[in-house]
Amino acid sequence: MTALLEVEDLRTYFSSRRGDVHAVDGVSFAVERGKTLGIVGESGCGKSVTALSIMGLLAQNARIVSGAVRFEDRDLTRLSDRELEDIRGRQIAMIFQDPMTSLNPTLTIGLQLTETMRRHLDLSRDEARKRAIELLEEVHIPNARSRLDDYPHRYSGGMRQRVMIAIALSCNPKLLIADEPTTALDVTVQAGILDLLEELRDQHDMSMIIITHDMGVVAESADDIAVMYAGQIVEHTNAEELFDHPEHPYTEALLGALPQLEDETVRQGRLTAIPGRPPDLVDLPDSCRFAPRCPYANRNDGCTARTPELRELRPGHLVRTAHPASERQGAPSMAEATR
Amino acid sequence: MLKFVVRRVLWTIPIILLVIFMTFWMMRAIKGSPFRRTERAVPAAVMANLDRKFGLDKPWYVQYGKYVKDVATFDLGPSLVLRNQNVNDIVKQHFPVSAELGGFAMLLAIVVGVPLGILSALRANRVTDYIAMLFANLGFAIPSFLVATLLIYEFAAQLRWFPTNGWDTASSKVLPVIALSLGPLTYFARIVRGQMLETLQQDYVRTAKAKGLRWKRVVVVHVLRNSLIPAVTAAGPLLGFLVTGSFIIENIFSIPGIGRYYVTSVSGRDYSTVMGITVLLSILIIVANMIVDILYGFLDPRTRDART
Amino acid sequence: MVLNPQNEELRELTVAREREDTTFEAGAAIAQTSLWRDAARRFAHNRAALIALFAFVLMVLYVVIVPFVMPYDPNAVDFSISYVNPTWAHPFGTDEFGRDLFLRTALGGRISIGIGFAGTVAIMVVGILYGAIAGFVGGWLDNAMMRFLDALYGLPYLPFAIITLAIFGTVNFWTMVVALTVASWFTTARVMRGQIISLKENDYVRAARAVGARWYRVLFRHLLPNTLGVVIVFVFLELPGVVLGEAFLSFLGLGINPPNASWGSLAQDGYTQYLSHPYIIVIPSVAIAWLILSAFFIADGLRDALDPRTQAAA
Repeated sequence: MTALLEVEDLRTYFSSRRGDVHAVDGVSFAVERGKTLGIVGESGCGKSVTALSIMGLLAQNARIVSGAVRFEDRDLTRLSDRELEDIRGRQIAMIFQDPMTSLNPTLTIGLQLTETMRRHLDLSRDEARKRAIELLEEVHIPNARSRLDDYPHRYSGGMRQRVMIAIALSCNPKLLIADEPTTALDVTVQAGILDLLEELRDQHDMSMIIITHDMGVVAESADDIAVMYAGQIVEHTNAEELFDHPEHPYTEALLGALPQLEDETVRQGRLTAIPGRPPDLVDLPDSCRFAPRCPYANRNDGCTARTPELRELRPGHLVRTAHPASERQGAPSMAEATR
Repeated sequence: MLKFVVRRVLWTIPIILLVIFMTFWMMRAIKGSPFRRTERAVPAAVMANLDRKFGLDKPWYVQYGKYVKDVATFDLGPSLVLRNQNVNDIVKQHFPVSAELGGFAMLLAIVVGVPLGILSALRANRVTDYIAMLFANLGFAIPSFLVATLLIYEFAAQLRWFPTNGWDTASSKVLPVIALSLGPLTYFARIVRGQMLETLQQDYVRTAKAKGLRWKRVVVVHVLRNSLIPAVTAAGPLLGFLVTGSFIIENIFSIPGIGRYYVTSVSGRDYSTVMGITVLLSILIIVANMIVDILYGFLDPRTRDART
Repeated sequence: MVLNPQNEELRELTVAREREDTTFEAGAAIAQTSLWRDAARRFAHNRAALIALFAFVLMVLYVVIVPFVMPYDPNAVDFSISYVNPTWAHPFGTDEFGRDLFLRTALGGRISIGIGFAGTVAIMVVGILYGAIAGFVGGWLDNAMMRFLDALYGLPYLPFAIITLAIFGTVNFWTMVVALTVASWFTTARVMRGQIISLKENDYVRAARAVGARWYRVLFRHLLPNTLGVVIVFVFLELPGVVLGEAFLSFLGLGINPPNASWGSLAQDGYTQYLSHPYIIVIPSVAIAWLILSAFFIADGLRDALDPRTQAAA
């Protein structure tokens, strides 16, 4: 059985005054049915742009230069606007980072919930309303019936994100893309939202893409994880493998920045901040994009001369570096190198 | 919400009093009694008589109190120049003309300006947008007296489609309405375009698109509504525009409106008329602002709640 | 004088500047210069703004230089050359009295632009004072002062300008400036107050107050200098309104009187002759439009230059 979504060598560039910004530069991955993919990286690494490229929601100055986004064997990049509109919200739904601004402040929650269903499911006003109440209950909003006619400002941030999730689920999409779904929320409600997403994924038999800068967010919920850096995937494997045997120095650093998880051996107390900045995406160097920040990069092995390919280090474990952890012998550890 | 409305209405009262007060003082500052300025020598006894008739011999606060009371009862007092004419009569005679001119101009400005702004925003940075904004910028920069004069020159003097002046037949009203509407029209186009562009950037518009709504529905339900609500607040300055513009347009087209009469009154030193019209126009703007504020409160659910 | 809706956008500028400022708390002096240098660089990359600046300078040079080099007496009457069409000797032709219009438009420009700038400065001073007091003192005074401004939003300046001129009983450069200021400073005051309020919330201002800086030091040292960017933008936004106000007054015959000329009074001369010599009204009107458009695009460019966020979007 083929995967639900296959992204193949996707390149999305922004035009700017200084030239093209290579926001997404040759990204490939697949999302299997019923599985969750986590895409992790710093802000500006191209993870959100990847999601927006899939949805066809790019800003005006952005364009998909090449590549394919195959969803159930249709290439979304080749669809017309109207065909895409039929898929958005119906087959693929998306929730965004900031629930405070993602809902229209001048329309009731009810209207914003029902308009999606009425658009895609051919429901009558009453049917849509009934279903909307069910959905609000499903995302654990108390007094759903009476809250339907409230405006967004009467809802807290966490509640609004629940409403966003309800809207996204209203048409039983096959794929849900969650772009930093908890970043803008209070720490106290973050876990609740993540639990809810996981619960609903199972109930609705969806696939999910969770985009985050925080390894902790995808630690429990993701089946596979892709780590992105400067518009490219630098490491891609299943979650367990990634957490147990990270290969890319950048992944190691991200994990190092992760606070200790429960029942895990102490990671030698490294809480490594990564020195340096990502490269300029307009004027990309002819080298490994991580080289300037990489403690293992050196002149002799070509780190500064060419971009390494994404290679399959072990079955199902892809990595883009000349110095994966398992090939480093006698090399200085990250902690030593940064000292 | 009711409390907000009541408070807002109550607030306008001291402000109207203050504006009347300022106008009143400005008129008093025009040195001395208006009668002393005329070239004819007026006998002292007559002068005293006149002063008494118009209450000019009383202390200023008595005069002010009386004036406020008169204004409150819609009485703007007698004209200082035209015998047996009240400022009320003058207003009644000339104001409807200006109101008609301004009303039509406003209508034209909305009917053309708003769609122009919408179109421009939806076609942002494309040819349509550039042409529309070039038009809007020129309309904003070229003084209305040139527009009016060129309209008369071309369509009245040369082509003879319309009369060059007056305000009686329907065809005599076409050119002045167009000339007066140009300023507000471009103002509308620019403000609507700006608001639309801002709204189009909002996260909730992206949400609406992500829901797969048809583009038309996204624009009508999510973008237009939220863009036009702030545009309502432009009503105050727009009225101001119309007043300023009508001074010029009424003069050029010899339209017997309040703006033209104002200029005549100033030249003729009919200060009670000048004061009456000024107070009237100011109250008009203040009340319009009040209505806009209240309307805005009703239109935006956030303020509707916050102002309970 | 609210002439264009863009005024409102200045509020956004505040937000952007706040963000800039917070990153530079430590070296405030260095941050300021680099902020301005950045702005200058951004302005230099804005083609529309550069063209506008060029057009503006060209106009100023024209009104300053031409009266020195034209070999005519601006007020000499010579009916033998009345209504000469534009030629090399008289680039804009002559008027009814045979006076050279190239020269008179330049002289009129001196008065119009002069009143424009003086009026703008007066409006800025009054507006900044009012706004700074309201914003700085805060509380009920701020509330009352702002209610007052809200209510007068959009009050037409023309009637009050006319009354002011009547009070003076005489029309000259300075009475025109006062007349055009009387009812035109509301928008400036409102924006300045917004600026002061948002700056007051900044950490470095709080810090200054916390260490016991006196109010005047906070106001003059920390608050007002940081509004400079907005003030400069506003100068170019107000200028068109004042120039137009002068033109309207003079056109109505209530402003600058003969034999002096301003662009408004020249337009009025032209208006009386529009049937036979329509170009006479066109010349000063185009001069006004030229000045307004260039000032407006300069303001636009300055605003973009001082607001890094709009840069990213462009």
